[in-house]
Order: sequence, then structure tokens, then C-alpha cells
Amino acid sequence: MIARRDLAVRVDRIEPLSPTCFRLLLSCAEPVEAQPGQFGMLACGGGLDPLLRRAFSIGSIRAAATGTVIELMIKEVGQGSAALRRIAPGTLTRLLAPLGTGFTLESGDTPLVLVAGGIGLPPILFAAEELARRGTRFDLVVGAANSAELIEITRCTAAVAAVGGEFVLCTDDGSRGEGGFVTAALGRRLDAGRRWARLLACGPDPMLKALVRLARAHGLAAELSLEEPMACGVGVCLGCVVELADGRMVSTCTHGPVFDAAALAARWSQ
Amino acid sequence: MSIRLATRVGALELANPVLAASGTFGYGLDLVEFCPPELLGAIVSKGLSPHPRPGNATPRIVETAAGMINAIGLQNIGVDAFCTGPLGELMRRGARVVANVFGENPDAYLEVIARCEREPGVSGYELNVSCPNVTAGGMEFGHDPRQLVSLTRRCREATARPLWVKLSPNAPDLIGTARAAVDGGADGLTLINTVRAMAIDAVRRRPVLARGFGGLSGPAIKPIALRMVFEVHRALPKTPLVGIGGIETGRDAAEFLLAGASAVEVGTAIFRDPGAPLRIVGELAAFCEREGIADVTELIGGLQWP
Repeated sequence: MIARRDLAVRVDRIEPLSPTCFRLLLSCAEPVEAQPGQFGMLACGGGLDPLLRRAFSIGSIRAAATGTVIELMIKEVGQGSAALRRIAPGTLTRLLAPLGTGFTLESGDTPLVLVAGGIGLPPILFAAEELARRGTRFDLVVGAANSAELIEITRCTAAVAAVGGEFVLCTDDGSRGEGGFVTAALGRRLDAGRRWARLLACGPDPMLKALVRLARAHGLAAELSLEEPMACGVGVCLGCVVELADGRMVSTCTHGPVFDAAALAARWSQ
Repeated sequence: MSIRLATRVGALELANPVLAASGTFGYGLDLVEFCPPELLGAIVSKGLSPHPRPGNATPRIVETAAGMINAIGLQNIGVDAFCTGPLGELMRRGARVVANVFGENPDAYLEVIARCEREPGVSGYELNVSCPNVTAGGMEFGHDPRQLVSLTRRCREATARPLWVKLSPNAPDLIGTARAAVDGGADGLTLINTVRAMAIDAVRRRPVLARGFGGLSGPAIKPIALRMVFEVHRALPKTPLVGIGGIETGRDAAEFLLAGASAVEVGTAIFRDPGAPLRIVGELAAFCEREGIADVTELIGGLQWP
């Protein structure tokens, strides 16, 4: 396990990705590593409002001459993300990272299938680029509400192409790629006899639940990256708990955010 | 200048006046890499009940202006798992441990204390009679002076160790409940617990939290907490107080000491900075140095009232 630290980071760049999403590039002087699926808690500013840090899955992390560059992809949904969108390049802030569990990237002879919905893309893109680097076969399904909200398509395409996989684009409104939800696209392929070693997914709860039902029906193992309201990110506030199949209530921040779908309570497949 | 930071809450001697508050620091070992528990005055455990509790439904937390509302519902591993688990390592490290005690009825409080009495690593108790997020126990004892005096007395008879009662800011009669706790034999009072509150989602026309109500914490409640510490100190000047409510900095801690607290607890600040209690120890020492205060206890009750 990689030790979590409260990193002093500098905001290097902010770039728009879509009408609602933006990229934040953070640098820190120390060497930092993370696994795809792990996240960080970013302080949104020095003041008391917003008070709490915000949890973001890591989109990529790489060593640079000056230390480490960490990429976050953020959707503006509330006060914290709005403050971050306005943050000035050069601002110094803090990132608690890496936190939580990552995806299982090992696969036998059968490829993996990765599915992302909306702003669920960052940990999936991180996993895709890592799998491409390792030469592990995978297919990738990415969905968004419409073509304007599809982000990082070039990087997705390149990662999948590196291992000869299939890249499926979906939009809810059919404005690009296959029309409809990612679950329908995945279901059509499962029905046609496609088999994968494991499904790795991140996206809105309804999408994840539909994926769990689909995976269960086809005997496909699944790992999900969950998002829950979280105050601390380090296991002490007990705000982000989810119920497991064995009845235990565990914190998403320390036992997840990546969970084996089979370990989650029944409501995740209902 | 070397600043003397040692303080005491009644008979309980503390290396410094900064404690980690119950429910914000796990069982003392969850954040060791950011805040070694042995470097704090003490750690107050997560509220311990006789048996494990799963806590409330989610959502349990919501952020509000300069604060947050929680309705965790005293999820905890149970007193026995605490005593056989983290307590040993806390002792080995030399951390001072105050057990926060919760029960759905008086016998349950006594059960938790009886289990802890077998452990030399528990230095004292903080009775939680002020949790706004449970159906049975908690606030029902903290709001009724007659029930509180009886519960405190029974707990007092069960232990010779320091016994604090954590008071509710939601009680109709703050001074009355403070007196009841002292009459029952409490050595000290912790104040305040969270302020009963709610957040509303105007679009869904529903409360944000699954339980509807929760407890507000963070800097938003600091002025309320200061006023309550001061009022109780003025009414009961001989009773040691532990101040808590929105402490983010060493200067905040100094304000609580001036209001009459002998020590402080840091809670919600840990959620945004896991090293907050330790940072506050350093900031408090720096404040004393700047102000020419050689001994931090000089601050206690030092407020000059207009």
C-alpha cells in the first residue's frame, strides 16, 4: 500500500474539458504514486466556506522534473467545484493522497472491460492508460449525456488502440456513437457472446446498479468505484459508509472507493 | 522562551490542553501518520456502547456554511472491541485515553464503564448525554436535570477515575444541566456537543439528511460554544471545563481557555486537516510566546468581562 500524505500542491493549469467539466493539473515537489481508482481530498481554498475538502479520483499521475504532476478531472456541481474552477494558476493548496483502494488490473487470457459514465471517467481513464502501458488487453465503453459532455476521447482511443481493444462511445441523446446508455451497449455485446475477465466501472449510481444486474446475469465479475458524501476521506467521519452483503457498514474512503460488486449489499443489484 | 503547556482537568493531568474530540479521530490510531495520539493532551474515543452499533441511514453528513451537520448515530465497534483492539497500542504509545461512553439506558452506560475499569489504559470517562442523533439514550439524559443527576451519580459510583459529562447546547436549561452533572459527581464538563440543525433540499423539498435532523459542528458554532463555556464557568467557577466547538487554530483554543476551559477538544477541524490537533498545540504555544505567557494555564478563565 502506498502511504497517504497531505501533499503541498501547486495548481499548474486549469483547462475546460466540456461545458461542465474541467481539468486541474497539480504539481508537488515530492515523488508520489497512486493506483487507478485511488483518490485525493483537495482543499478548495483557504477559507472556512466551503469548509471541507473535496474528493476526486485521480485521472493520471506522472513523475516530472520538478516532482510529480497529478491530474484531476472535475465536474462543476456545487460550491467546492465552482471554487476550484475559479482557482488561479499558481495557487498553493493541499491534497491528501493517495487514498482508498484501486482497481484490480490483473487479468488472465481474457480481456477486461472498462465502463465509464459522465464524470466517472477519470479513474477509468487512469486504468485504461495503465493497462495500455502494461500491454493488458481491455475494451472500453464510455458514455455521456451528449456529445459535448464526452471528454478525453483522443486519450481513450489511443489507450484502447495500444492493446487492440474495442472502444465504444455512447450518448444518451444519440448525438454521437451508439445511442442510449452504456449498459445497453455492454448488454448487446454480452448477448452476442463476448466474455471478459472482469468489469471495472465508475459513474452515476443508477448506471452502476444497472451494470451490477447485467454483470450478475452474465456471470461477469465486477468492481465499482463508488461516490458518497465524504467529510474526511481518511475513515474517521463515518459519513461515507456503505452496507456490505455481510451487514457491515464500511467507509467508502478506506474500504473503497473501489468495491467488488459481490461484496456490496443487495441494494446495489436492485 | 519555553512555554509550559501542561494543564489538568480536575485530577486528570494532561501534557497539553489539546484533545482530539470523540467521533472525529476514530479510535485514536486511524490518523497516526498525521497526528500521533501520544503528542496530544488526550484522545477521546469514538462513543462506545456495550455492543457494536451500525449507525444511521445515509446521507449522514452535509456541509453547510462554515460547518457541517452530521447524523452518524454513534456507529461504533462496541466497548469490548475497543479495549481488546486499539487500546493496547494506544497504551504502548503512551497516549492518554478518555473513553466516551454512550448507552440507550443507564445500565448500558454502566456496562461500558465496567468493561473499561478492567483496562489501565483508560484514564477517564466522558459521558455522552448530548448526542442529537439517536432515538434512545443520549440527549434524553442531557436535557433533564433529574435524569442527569441520577445517571451521573450511578456512573460516579462505578469508577474512581475522572468523570466528565459532555453537555448539550440544545438543553433548555444549560446551567441547570451543568449543575445536575456536578451534583451527580462529575469532575468536569465538556461543552458543547453539536447544535441540533437541519439542511433542506429546496428542489426535492426534502431534508438533505436521511434522518431529517442532525448536529451542526465546525466554526459556525464557535461563538455559541464560547458563550456557553463562559456562562457555565461563571456559574460554576470551581468546575473544570473542556471547551469544544469549531476550534480551528491555536488562537481559537486560547479563546476557549480565556472563557474558562482548562482544556479543549478539536473535532471537525480534523476532517479538513488530519493533523489539526497537533498543529493547534504548536499554534497555541506560539500564541503564548507572542503574548509573553510562560504557562498556558494563565489563560484559563482569564477573560476580562466588560
